[in-house]
Amino acid sequence: MNCTQAQNLMSAAVDGELTLKEQEGFEKHIQTCPTCFREFKEAQKTKNIIREKIIRFKAPQSLVNSILKLSDTPL
Amino acid sequence: MTSSPNKKNAPEPKKTLSEKEKIKQQEFQEEAVEHINALYNYALHLTMNPDDANDLVQETYLKAYKFFDSFEKGTNCKAWLFKILKNNYINKFRKNAREPGKVDYDLIKDFYHSIKDAQNDNEDLNAGYFRSLMHDEVYQALNSLPEEFKEVIQLCDIEGFTYEEIANMVESPIGTVRSRLYRGRKLLRTKLNDFAKKHGYNTENGETP
Repeated sequence: MNCTQAQNLMSAAVDGELTLKEQEGFEKHIQTCPTCFREFKEAQKTKNIIREKIIRFKAPQSLVNSILKLSDTPL
Repeated sequence: MTSSPNKKNAPEPKKTLSEKEKIKQQEFQEEAVEHINALYNYALHLTMNPDDANDLVQETYLKAYKFFDSFEKGTNCKAWLFKILKNNYINKFRKNAREPGKVDYDLIKDFYHSIKDAQNDNEDLNAGYFRSLMHDEVYQALNSLPEEFKEVIQLCDIEGFTYEEIANMVESPIGTVRSRLYRGRKLLRTKLNDFAKKHGYNTENGETP
């Protein structure tokens, strides 16, 4: 596997979406390529920062109530 | 078990819930309503406005309930609802010829500030400048990405959808989802670095444990 192929698989590697065969090839490549290894680590961290730092809101109670009421009505 | 199987010509009762509707209602509440927070967040990201988000979620559930029979049991209900919401959003904003994304950032920002203390940094973020980045800085960085990148990052990293589900939602091949995520994360990384530098956080060696 070369760098271009590894880059094509980069996001899927971060997200656990590689097939076993792809995973094997990818891991082999990043063990010998510091540039792709670094890029992989950075992509992982970028994913984590989004997951951790983006705040999730609760839907307003009035909205929840209106949705619950919705399914009380026959269509 | 009370309903007769031979009711093809009988008119549907309109005023009270039939047995079938009761079952549907129960299933809908169990399957669909639990995703309301995720949908609300997605709507908020799309519209940048709590009132629009509210309307969008309402319309989505109305449609989802109406077409709940077409929902394939055992598949991902959240993905189904997201797809409906996305379609609704496109129709609504196209119809209104209104450009989303420029609406009331301050309002959203206040929203964020109001519950900012809800989370603590986890172990992954305790090294380097990530720790110093604030929620709204990350939010702004994400929001400044081109729509096609922002969207897949939201769906993947925040909502946890699979590539297949995302591909279906954005109506693009999985390969496109992959490459958008790759490029989007790279761009985001650059923006986060810029933020960090601007605020004097150390970005040189800080991120390596």
